[in-house]
Amino acid sequence: MNSPFRTPLTDGELRRRASVFTLLDEIGDILDITRSQFERAKQSYNAVGDWLSGSTDPLLVKTLVYLQGSSSLGTAVKPIGRDEFDIDLICFCAAVSFGVSPQRLKAAVGNRLREHKTYAAILEEKKRCWRLNYAGDFHLDLSPTIANPHCYNGGELVPDRKLHDWHPTNPKAYKKLFDARAALQPRLTQKMVAMKRDQASVEPFPAYHSAKGVLRRVVQLLKRHRDVFFVNNTDEIAPISVIITTLAMQSYAYCVKRHVFEDALDVLIETIRMMPHFIEHPIIDGWAGYAVWNETTSGENFAEGWNKDARKPKAFDVWHATALRDFEALRDGVGHDVLTQNMQRSFGDSVTKPVLEKHLGNLGGARKSGSLLVAPALGLTTSKAAASPTSVPSNTFFGDQ
Amino acid sequence: MQRGGKQEMTLSQQLLFLKSNPVVGGSGEVSRHKLTWTTQVQPTPLARDYTVRLILKESETPDVFVDNPSLTELAGDREIPHVYLNPLRLCLYLPGTGEWHGSKRLDQTIIPWTFLWLFYFEDWLATDDWKGGGKHPGEVAEPKGNRENRRRVARL
Repeated sequence: MNSPFRTPLTDGELRRRASVFTLLDEIGDILDITRSQFERAKQSYNAVGDWLSGSTDPLLVKTLVYLQGSSSLGTAVKPIGRDEFDIDLICFCAAVSFGVSPQRLKAAVGNRLREHKTYAAILEEKKRCWRLNYAGDFHLDLSPTIANPHCYNGGELVPDRKLHDWHPTNPKAYKKLFDARAALQPRLTQKMVAMKRDQASVEPFPAYHSAKGVLRRVVQLLKRHRDVFFVNNTDEIAPISVIITTLAMQSYAYCVKRHVFEDALDVLIETIRMMPHFIEHPIIDGWAGYAVWNETTSGENFAEGWNKDARKPKAFDVWHATALRDFEALRDGVGHDVLTQNMQRSFGDSVTKPVLEKHLGNLGGARKSGSLLVAPALGLTTSKAAASPTSVPSNTFFGDQ
Repeated sequence: MQRGGKQEMTLSQQLLFLKSNPVVGGSGEVSRHKLTWTTQVQPTPLARDYTVRLILKESETPDVFVDNPSLTELAGDREIPHVYLNPLRLCLYLPGTGEWHGSKRLDQTIIPWTFLWLFYFEDWLATDDWKGGGKHPGEVAEPKGNRENRRRVARL
């Protein structure tokens, strides 16, 4: 990717790749939680927080409810097959000391929620957390935590799966690290070329800009690809989101600090390619196991499950190889039809269709209103900035068949 | 031929306009009362780059061939919509409506419509749904003179 000997991309290829990234960006937008949905969730979890801290239970007197996971990172993805987003919340119980058992704390949270008529009706018990199910909109998953006296980084402890013990975690520091990495700006040769061109007052060049940044999109798109890839698999071996997110943020930071890229698509694919290099292989019981460490606290291995079920690391490998191949195909495929098929395969028709039809609709609308243009190098365009365009006059396609 | 009082353009005039429009690349010539123009058409940056050949004989209607890549191969066993057959040509306008007329410039009509046709063609390849609109024979009552025109085109 970084070789000075690689043939530079032609203008046409750069334009195609910029268009592909724009479409991927729009897919990310469709997958995302909407602003109003997010606002509703925020109102709900603030209310839950107030209710919990209003409890007379000494365990809950100083609770703080805050957002963790994908909705706090900006990497949420609409689930397949149901309408509700998962919104993960931490219910940090500051008054609780290390001696309290996970069961007792979880029960205290559950009891308090049951005291509320509305919450009692939508409450569902999960292994490690409580779920408030706002049907058709979102779930709020509340995990109780306490302060981790052994973590120098302000970490917390969350019940383990069996509620036997406390497990280190650090959602706040994780978000801080993720945000810092997402803010790293890749160096793009294409942008430099674009700037030179603009100075030379040639037609505007499509330098890609996204408010979301590349890392968040990479995570969203990979999670969606995973959801589609494992849609018919009921074994629960698909790589969990936090593994994808952690490997992607490590890989992104590594790539962005070391390399110069052609364009945003190049960043996306190199980030995906390098992800497996951040899986560690510590010796566990004499075997080389798997570890994807939480860098913000000690002792949280996101890939713990891989050491208990050999199908999981294998499932990751197969999925990752497929994802890399699919994203390379998205990068390299020529032809709108080829791109459409690649997008359908990777992300499913339900998100591909609205994105592509929006573009077709824009073009069709411009055609009807007589504002559609053909411009050199761009082809059909609705851009008023296009240089030396020719209008597309009204026509009716005809023919023998 | 004269219609509606509008003067038809000569082939050399058409050639000059094709050469001078920055939207139209390629090259061509007029020889023996026949204009031939070959150009690359890439409807959008995401689309393929097609080699298109445009032929206009004096006082006739233009024929648009796609030489490469092969539309038939891309379509597989499906019937391509909005074409004339034997040989395969794009059908870009409704004859007899004045959408195209010899007084109009190829670079401002036939060429932009070729971009449009190929754009909808690639979407059709993926979706089997022609979203570019249009009409099929039988759906419109054709003016008499126009039917003659079409027969003449079919004989070419």
